[in-house]
Amino acid sequence: MNAIVFDHVSKRFGDVLAVDELSLTIAAGATVALLGPNGAGKSTSIGMLLALSRPTRGTIAVHGRTPERAVLAGEVGAMLQQGELIPELSVRELVELVRRLYPAPLGLAEVLELAGLTELARRRAGGLSGGQAQRVRFALALAGAPRLLLLDEPTAAMDVESRRRFWDSMRAYAAGGRTVLFASHYLAEAEEHADRVIVIAGGRVVADGTAAQIKAGAGGQVVRFALGEQPAAGLDRLPGVTAVEVGAGIATLRTRDTDATLAALYRDTALDVRDLELSGLDEAFLALTGRS
Amino acid sequence: MLYYAWTEALRTLRNRRYTIFVVLFPVALYLINAGIYGDQPGAAGVRQSVYLMVQMAGYGALGASMMSSAVPWAQERRSGWLSHLRITPLPGWAIVVTKLAIAMLLVLPSLVLVFAVAVLQQGVSMPLGRWAALAAVMWLGAIPFVALGLAIGSLLSPEAAQPAAVLLVFALSLLGGLWFPVEVMGGTFQAIAELTPSYHYAGLGWSVVASGGLALGDVLTVTGWGIALGGAAAYLYRRATVRA
Repeated sequence: MNAIVFDHVSKRFGDVLAVDELSLTIAAGATVALLGPNGAGKSTSIGMLLALSRPTRGTIAVHGRTPERAVLAGEVGAMLQQGELIPELSVRELVELVRRLYPAPLGLAEVLELAGLTELARRRAGGLSGGQAQRVRFALALAGAPRLLLLDEPTAAMDVESRRRFWDSMRAYAAGGRTVLFASHYLAEAEEHADRVIVIAGGRVVADGTAAQIKAGAGGQVVRFALGEQPAAGLDRLPGVTAVEVGAGIATLRTRDTDATLAALYRDTALDVRDLELSGLDEAFLALTGRS
Repeated sequence: MLYYAWTEALRTLRNRRYTIFVVLFPVALYLINAGIYGDQPGAAGVRQSVYLMVQMAGYGALGASMMSSAVPWAQERRSGWLSHLRITPLPGWAIVVTKLAIAMLLVLPSLVLVFAVAVLQQGVSMPLGRWAALAAVMWLGAIPFVALGLAIGSLLSPEAAQPAAVLLVFALSLLGGLWFPVEVMGGTFQAIAELTPSYHYAGLGWSVVASGGLALGDVLTVTGWGIALGGAAAYLYRRATVRA
């Protein structure tokens, strides 16, 4: 069964059309990234999936039911962007509160462990740092063992180490056959952690596929390095390369196959390659969302 | 859902504003005033220590019912905690029912503490049936104020709800004669006081301690306010939580 179906969904706030005829289907068990710039309609779509708001037009189904019914049945858990905690309650009490509202929750110790909160369990929410509070919100999202987990820019307030641990926990949770949909504008996150990337801009889907497909669809990846005074001749004949630009001593190669291009660059040319940079999804993403 | 109610009670009891202003303040005021005037005859035809007991219990209950509803509710709407509850299987009606029940429950410490101090420190004594009647009317009579608190919390932002609740508690206490008997404040004041729910709320308590009975006017006024404010609270609550 499909975990999520959007069927020609539009959402209008006054004059602003936040979501525009959005149609998409997400299979149960998938981990999907919803990628897009601010204002693309990511949070609005997640809000409608959670029955926090209703579509102006179109229908949404969660496991074949309306979002309202799915939420009441305890099938959905979510980490919203905005969501302060009750400062007078401890981490343990907050997790326990939400856990007990679900019909078949995870164990308390398991939730605390997954979210890395075991040591903080007795702390009052009012005294937590931003990153710690974020972990509590993650704990609240998965406490009820929902089949569908929605995460709206989950790593926004986290440092590098917290991020790494967060994604490890997310993977552990998703591994049980659960569906995860996360919104992000960190492109690397989408590439690294999702089976499928849906790029939206202006409330519409502008690209949908694996990260590699999206990069290819937007004209490939970019390899850039300092060329200095060395000759640029022959760069356009390297495997995979579709375009070459040289300016101010910097060579920029556009390629459909980064690995082949790099291998040939080092093996088949005598160039001294310095300050090598690779970029892919970022530029693909800008091209996609800027175009629409 | 019981655990939800438990956490709601816990968070209020851990809130210093609640414990200091709502629970300890009336007790302290009672001790001071009753210490000075306790033995004099009071306004309702009872000893001043008994009159003051009703006054301070009423003030505490009024404060508790409004402070434990208005401000937390306004904050939850704004901070996103309400959104978090709404994406759990907890039905929407359960949230408001729990809030009402807990606000009512948190009225009790104010009442019980003032009563206890009156008995222990001022030697107030009444037949058991009269104590029970007094506790019952002063508890149920707090319903309009809980409704008012929820209405404020639904209508205003947290920044505005806080001073609005405090001002209303003060105004209703003053006009209701919960600080001084309204008789000392002159005719116009008294005429306004007659219209407030707090004056008649205190009136319920005073008639019970004086005669064991209730004045119909007090019952009708408090009930009327209860219905009006309850309706307003229900309307504003729906408006504040409706799904756009």
